[in-house]
Amino acid sequence: MLRTVTRNYDDDVDGITPAVTSEDLLGRVALGDQAAFAQLYDRTASRVFGLVKRLLRDHAQSEEVTQEIFLEIWQNATRYEPAKGGAISWMLTMTHRRAVDRIRASQASRDRDTRIGIRDFAPEFDSVAENVEIQIESERVKEAMKRLTELQRQAVQLAYFGGYSHSEVSAMLKVPIGTVKTRLRDGMIRLRDELGVVS
Amino acid sequence: MTPRDELQASTGAYVLNALSDAERTDVEREIAGSEQLRAEATELADTAVELGLSVAPVEPPASLRDSILAAVAATPQLPAPPLGPDESEHELARPAGPAELKARSRWRTPLARLGAVAAAIALIVSLGFTVRAGLQAQTDMTTASQINQIQAADDYQRLTVDATGGGSATLVWSVSLQQSALLVDGLKGLPAGSTYELWYIDSDGATPAGTFDVGDGGDHSVVLAGDMGLGDTVGVTVEPAGGSTRPTTDPIILVQTA
Repeated sequence: MLRTVTRNYDDDVDGITPAVTSEDLLGRVALGDQAAFAQLYDRTASRVFGLVKRLLRDHAQSEEVTQEIFLEIWQNATRYEPAKGGAISWMLTMTHRRAVDRIRASQASRDRDTRIGIRDFAPEFDSVAENVEIQIESERVKEAMKRLTELQRQAVQLAYFGGYSHSEVSAMLKVPIGTVKTRLRDGMIRLRDELGVVS
Repeated sequence: MTPRDELQASTGAYVLNALSDAERTDVEREIAGSEQLRAEATELADTAVELGLSVAPVEPPASLRDSILAAVAATPQLPAPPLGPDESEHELARPAGPAELKARSRWRTPLARLGAVAAAIALIVSLGFTVRAGLQAQTDMTTASQINQIQAADDYQRLTVDATGGGSATLVWSVSLQQSALLVDGLKGLPAGSTYELWYIDSDGATPAGTFDVGDGGDHSVVLAGDMGLGDTVGVTVEPAGGSTRPTTDPIILVQTA
């Protein structure tokens, strides 16, 4: 049977194990408890804001999107089920999605596979990839990343930390989109195994 | 419509939010029909969370906390979801492990999700709340909305480069709007008496496009003054306070748009 990781993320956030877990707090938030929401915010805001800012870079937009995310957390807390994953997992999954939504929102009508895209995105790759490396704080993730092939690693980093779509990644790495998709999957499976997300 | 085997190979791109909306919908449909794919997508989504936790946390400003708590006080929550046929079936039969249960509930049909969003909007509108009200108070709104305008253009593009001496800069631009904005992060603070100056550079030379200073984190976003020409390069130099009419130092940032 499959089991997903049950690491206590509160340890990561505070360095100590708090008496009240983020899951407890989110449970109270679901009952309309604004004080619990404030506590949950204080505990997780730097994680959410850090990830949003990593993706959007612009400070004002990052604040806006962070506000939208926390409002969504407030509104949807009733739908969170602790048995199905940790609070911070639920929140960071939402965070990445919303930050990427913001990056793409205004680009929906644009054909991102045009030759213009390929020409203009190509030269930036080295600097983006370098920048991405520096941003990985956790030794555990950094070590796991080293187990990926060069192409897998670059593709995963550009997609997750850069918020680039597969077609942009394809243009940057000069490989077909189908290859990008399989590398993203292979890379994530490798990371999953290295990080012990499955046992 | 994407071929089936390609959809099945797209779980990685799916959890990394690297798919187009249409592909995302296709992959969600595929995942909904396969327990194996559901389990895989759930595990890979948890793996993506590990990546998220590896990013350096950044403390948001206290004003954001105030703004969010005020908005929350004025925003109703969604009602708890009714026990759908999917869930009740699980309650009775309990055939699936925790990962599968988790997966099933997480990858709800897009239609159900749309319904939830519509319900949320209806609720907010009917009670007369405007979530955005809290957002208007933000400073830098003008810059942000101008950047949004650039990003809304059909020919919007962006490019990130490293700055000499540390930090990075992302240029977003639209040739049709003849506008660009620069988002810098991690730039050194400058001593009093100097400033960063922006330039549009073409074959005729450099045209001043405004000055800026960075905040504590070395970050700032600025919309360039003047019209951007097709194929212009955007540069940043350090100049005496007030700016210069032509660059007097080597550029620390150069972004080529062609």
